[in-house]
Amino acid sequence: MKSSVRLVTHGAVAVYAILCLLPLLWMAMSAFKDNGSISLSPLSLPTTLDFSVFRDAWAIGGIGQYAINSIIVTAVSTTLVLLVSSMAGFALSRLVFPGSRFILIGMVVGLLLPIQAYFIAQNQLFELVHLKDTRLALIVPYTAIGIPLAIWLIKTYVDTMPKELFEAARIDGASDLTVYRLIMVPLMRPALVTVGIFTALAAWNEFLLALLYVQDESLKTIPTGLLAFSSRYATDYRMLFAALTMVTLPLIIIYVVFNKRIVEGLTQGSVKG
Amino acid sequence: MKPTSRTGVLVLVLPALLIYAFAVLVPFVGTIGLSFTRWNGFGTPEWAGLDNYLRAFKDAVFMSTFGHVAIYIAATLVLEVLLGLVLAGFIAAHKWTGFYRVALFIPVMLPMVVVAVLWRTIFNPDVGILNAVLKRIGFQDVSFVWLGDPRTALLSICVVSGWVFAGFFMAIFLAALTRLPPDVVESARLDGAGEVKIFWRIKVPMIRQVVLLAVLLCVTGGLQGFDLFYVMTNGGPYNTTEVPTTYMVKSVFRDGEIGYGASLSVLVTIVGLIIAGGFWYYQRRHPADVEY
Repeated sequence: MKSSVRLVTHGAVAVYAILCLLPLLWMAMSAFKDNGSISLSPLSLPTTLDFSVFRDAWAIGGIGQYAINSIIVTAVSTTLVLLVSSMAGFALSRLVFPGSRFILIGMVVGLLLPIQAYFIAQNQLFELVHLKDTRLALIVPYTAIGIPLAIWLIKTYVDTMPKELFEAARIDGASDLTVYRLIMVPLMRPALVTVGIFTALAAWNEFLLALLYVQDESLKTIPTGLLAFSSRYATDYRMLFAALTMVTLPLIIIYVVFNKRIVEGLTQGSVKG
Repeated sequence: MKPTSRTGVLVLVLPALLIYAFAVLVPFVGTIGLSFTRWNGFGTPEWAGLDNYLRAFKDAVFMSTFGHVAIYIAATLVLEVLLGLVLAGFIAAHKWTGFYRVALFIPVMLPMVVVAVLWRTIFNPDVGILNAVLKRIGFQDVSFVWLGDPRTALLSICVVSGWVFAGFFMAIFLAALTRLPPDVVESARLDGAGEVKIFWRIKVPMIRQVVLLAVLLCVTGGLQGFDLFYVMTNGGPYNTTEVPTTYMVKSVFRDGEIGYGASLSVLVTIVGLIIAGGFWYYQRRHPADVEY
């Protein structure tokens, strides 16, 4: 009895894990089939391995341009978040100055504010200052959205460091900026990696603001770009599957390689989107 | 410590503050302000007092979005949090689970739009794999329009959400379970308790704080749901999958009613803050003895 129960639970978990992967396998498989066999026999295996459709989706379909845009927006906003949040996180953890408590409370409130709470006026503001349809229209909000949690995590991390470290540097005559540059940045590295991972993934995957602020095809990131692609090639399923496979595969590879760090970063960052 | 210089503090703190204030705080206050106006984006906003709010409460479609989102949250609490918890319990208690961990977490990495476009194709009555599989296992005349039928559209979206996030919550719970001290579990095992009983009676209560956080994330995240809904159904069929954010976007960007959309945004934010406050209050009343 007991071992049969065991077998059933094992089987159930295995089936569930396969169900997680099956849609992705079907997607990759269908990219190698022609449109006829995709719709007539969706379950059949591909008969040839023709990679030209990937080249078409990348170059003609524009996936390449979307990927470049995503890389730029993600890289710049993540770097900015890491830079400004590590400076502010250090100051808020170690320096006593008027307003520091107020800023911390503001950051906690910021953690609770969803995009829905401000995107309507943000859209008007960005229109007013002619930010829409530029890369900054995404870089600026992605940076801002990442800041509260980044500051919070970095501050908590710096809090755990021994205060002698800072006092010793102070006695040696180092200014706060020097302490930040020479001592903090190297020591903060683990916290920065965590913050970097979830900030980058959030920026890479963000959709709502990208949809509203960027209409220019040549500036679209992968989420909005893929959506435009899917309506451009609404009936060319082979192209669609090739595009989906191409934007999915790098993420899976990155995940398999950096597995532990990513799970850690994502669960600590608790992004859900 | 006292700062070495005033400019030093400003250089450290100001960049983060300015970016945050410009892109979040000012727009947040602005949205509240706009919610009391009538404005189509051109000319000057016209003062409307509480009109937008009164209209929102009488707007049947807007009110129904809370019902849909409640169904979505209830379903995802089961399909994401509960399933994630059970899977984490299984994986924590077994060896050689590397494949499961990787397989379950892969969907979490993908952009929601990619997931949505992929599943839109899976549900597609003509080329989708779902109907093909159903046909293969004996349902002859299946050409069911999953996302076009009011009875199945919302549930289909819930399933896709579960496909993505069960692995996410599994990872959170797994991290908490592996932090548990082994001696407590060990002594329960010596007392003759079965593994399932140990899991529900001992391990889960011990990670109660993490479970509570997961429920909060699932509820507030659900309230903010947009990507899946927009791409898979955009509120249809017949508004049966309309959620607050898709409706807000329609009010502002399709109908040009910025003031009205802003009032909906304020209402949804208030609901979210009340929920978060409720959790905070509950946690204060039931503090954990020991935190793991």
